[in-house]
Amino acid sequence: MIGRYRALRKAGLLGINERNVRLVNELNPRRLIRLVDDKRETKRLANAANIPTPELYGVIANPFHMRHLESYLDKPDGVVIKPANGSQGNGIQVLMEPMRGGWRRSNGQRALLEDIRFHVNNILSGMYSLSGQPDVAMFEYRVKFDEIFNPISFGGVPDIRIIVVRGIPAVAMVRLPTAESDGKANLHKGGVGVGLDLVTGKTLSGMQNGKTTDIHPDTANPLRNFSVPHWDTMLEMASKAYDVTGLGYLGADIVLDKTKGPLLLELNARPGLAIQIANRIGIRPLLKATLEADTEGLDALGRVELARKLYRSHVPEPI
Amino acid sequence: MLLAAAKQKTVNSFTHTRLLALVLAAIGLGIFATKVLQHDYPLTPGLQTTTWDFEIYLDFDTSNQPVRLETFVPSNSENRRVSQEQFYNGAFGLRLNGRNDEGRTAIWTYRYPNDRKVLRYRARLLGETVESPLPDDMRRKLRRAAPEAENDLERQAFLVWSTDLRRRSADDESLADLVLEEIFVDGDVDEVDALLSPALPRPIARLALARDVLTSQGIPARVANGVFLDSARRRAEIRHWLEYHADGVDRRYFPGPDPQEFFTIWHGTKDFIRAEGISDLDLQVSIQPVNAAVADVVQRVAKDEGSAMQWFSFNRLPITTQLVYQVLVTIPVGILMLVFLRQFIGLQTLGTFMPVLIGIAFRETALVNGVILFTALIALGLAVRFYLEKLKLLLVPRLATVVVFIVICMAVIAQIMNNSGQRIGLSISLFPMVILTMTIERMSIAWEEYSATEAIKQGIGSLMVAAASYLVMTNTHVEYLMFNFPELLLVIMAICLLMGKYTGLRLSELIRFRELDTRK
Repeated sequence: MIGRYRALRKAGLLGINERNVRLVNELNPRRLIRLVDDKRETKRLANAANIPTPELYGVIANPFHMRHLESYLDKPDGVVIKPANGSQGNGIQVLMEPMRGGWRRSNGQRALLEDIRFHVNNILSGMYSLSGQPDVAMFEYRVKFDEIFNPISFGGVPDIRIIVVRGIPAVAMVRLPTAESDGKANLHKGGVGVGLDLVTGKTLSGMQNGKTTDIHPDTANPLRNFSVPHWDTMLEMASKAYDVTGLGYLGADIVLDKTKGPLLLELNARPGLAIQIANRIGIRPLLKATLEADTEGLDALGRVELARKLYRSHVPEPI
Repeated sequence: MLLAAAKQKTVNSFTHTRLLALVLAAIGLGIFATKVLQHDYPLTPGLQTTTWDFEIYLDFDTSNQPVRLETFVPSNSENRRVSQEQFYNGAFGLRLNGRNDEGRTAIWTYRYPNDRKVLRYRARLLGETVESPLPDDMRRKLRRAAPEAENDLERQAFLVWSTDLRRRSADDESLADLVLEEIFVDGDVDEVDALLSPALPRPIARLALARDVLTSQGIPARVANGVFLDSARRRAEIRHWLEYHADGVDRRYFPGPDPQEFFTIWHGTKDFIRAEGISDLDLQVSIQPVNAAVADVVQRVAKDEGSAMQWFSFNRLPITTQLVYQVLVTIPVGILMLVFLRQFIGLQTLGTFMPVLIGIAFRETALVNGVILFTALIALGLAVRFYLEKLKLLLVPRLATVVVFIVICMAVIAQIMNNSGQRIGLSISLFPMVILTMTIERMSIAWEEYSATEAIKQGIGSLMVAAASYLVMTNTHVEYLMFNFPELLLVIMAICLLMGKYTGLRLSELIRFRELDTRK
């Protein structure tokens, strides 16, 4: 046990205690965390800073608004319903397109208007919000994701998570849905996390359910060597997210739309640590360097430049 | 600049915490050391002597009518001792009547009271055991005589029954055994039922009947009432038993198991309290074993006027309050355990302090019963929840339905346990009930928000933390130390502060990130 402890420390592993004490508590004041817990607020901030996000069709904040439900759902390309204060991807329902008598869900099943109304009611009653507080349902543009990840995903939307420290992107991964995760890209639901080389945006090795893997469990295709398109834009978006929120430690979740390019889905003030398994590195030394780096006078682009330099000095170029 | 400032702040918050922890620990340990070294406070509970603190607490409403309240109070005899008696009378007049045959009484009177009033009697008792001899006047042989009865019919029934018993027995001893067996063990014998005095509560009526039969057959007997001195109790029950002298041997018959130690307060079938002019009486009789060593020190220190130890000691509070604090001061130890298990081991729990609350609830159910009951009820609650899922109810009404169902389950369990003569169901009181429903709510939210495995993992984690914190909180040494040295709370606070800045890995993370261990 002690040997394992030393080995993990030597590998530079960042633990949850240290994340909480040195990153979340030190860099993320509580009043700022509130900004990203509410997705409407995040969207407003991002749009003000020209960070693209999925278009918001409408909001249902109380049962009185429910009469707008059908007009919000009336989109030929489908719609995504999500709770404004949800966490971990809970309560999100994706409607692909209208079909006879209802809407087609992402898993192919039909959702009736009654089912959708029940779901929205559940959101309003706070079932998916962080502390059971009454919540608000958001209706958004359904992302038509780029086909680049088709060989290594199974249903649902892959997304890219970039961890940004003091505005400097530090480490990234792409999260791929699997059959087990039911089309969701969340790692704890069984999604696959694949590390990304921060300089080039190329995929490295992956992990699922805490174990490393090099192939996608459903398609069996190797995970390595996919290049994420628009990588520079994504890094810049993530870095800008720091400017608009002020959060010193944040995780930016970005999706890649076929026509609209990268869109910021949400920001997370307490991003998890599984990204270390996906990248097969301990990020402590890199974060230490990032915490100490001089960012005086740098804008988002400058910080991205700095990020690449810092990253390469800790992680060698993959062969 | 920003960086320098940020770094400065980091250093500061770490040193600041350590400094604060150091100061708190120093104060706590300083007081602790003074008490132990200078005042010779014993460090371990030591031998519990046979003395007990005893308190009668009366709380009642008055309505401008003259009040007379008479209650039996402990008195001295060859076998038992009362000392350090204190009466808290308020404005009431107090008279003690020691010339009753039944026992000593205290009579409180007041002509024009209003509002709620409180009366308190406190004393230190030295108890009796089953071997304690009965007084001499119980040892003389009586003449056989038929008792007075309400009417001829009852008198006849009594005579027939007692003659029958006499015929079936060989001597006084076997007669007494037979009488007690017919009355208490055989259940509802018709003759017995008919003879029980309707004016008295059932258990006392049975004792009174046994007494009447025995005395009618020339065996001296009387009903005794008092408390069992078994463990600290906030609401001790008044118990009733029979004393008799048969074939030259002193005997006591207790319905139910024999106590190790007890204290007789009065004899006969009168009520413990007789009151006029009051309403809504709340009677609380509490007992607590006295730790002789600590009591000595406390008394010695109390005489020492200038001592700083004098103004802060739980030992001077009323017993009922003391018993509450005895539990209260151990809670931080349970919480310390919880923080350790969460921050260092990485156990996941439902809610933050929920496991400690469950641990406190285990006090009332004991550990194994508690774990079984909790698991069973939570499983039932979740089962109902999943059934209700099909009905697509809204969140709050659904949770409410689950809560009502749990109350029903607990009521049913209490009935079943009662009928089969077990007591564990009955020991579930209000507090565990509230904790239980909160746990089910947390658990179903975890189930909903994360997954089944996550919810079960958190449930098991909570149960483990609850059991661990229960074990430390009920440890006699921990209870003793925390109660007599409350300054240790400062030390616990210091440890919590330090744990709040622990940045090392958790035990669970050694497993979670095992793939990053590149040793060969």
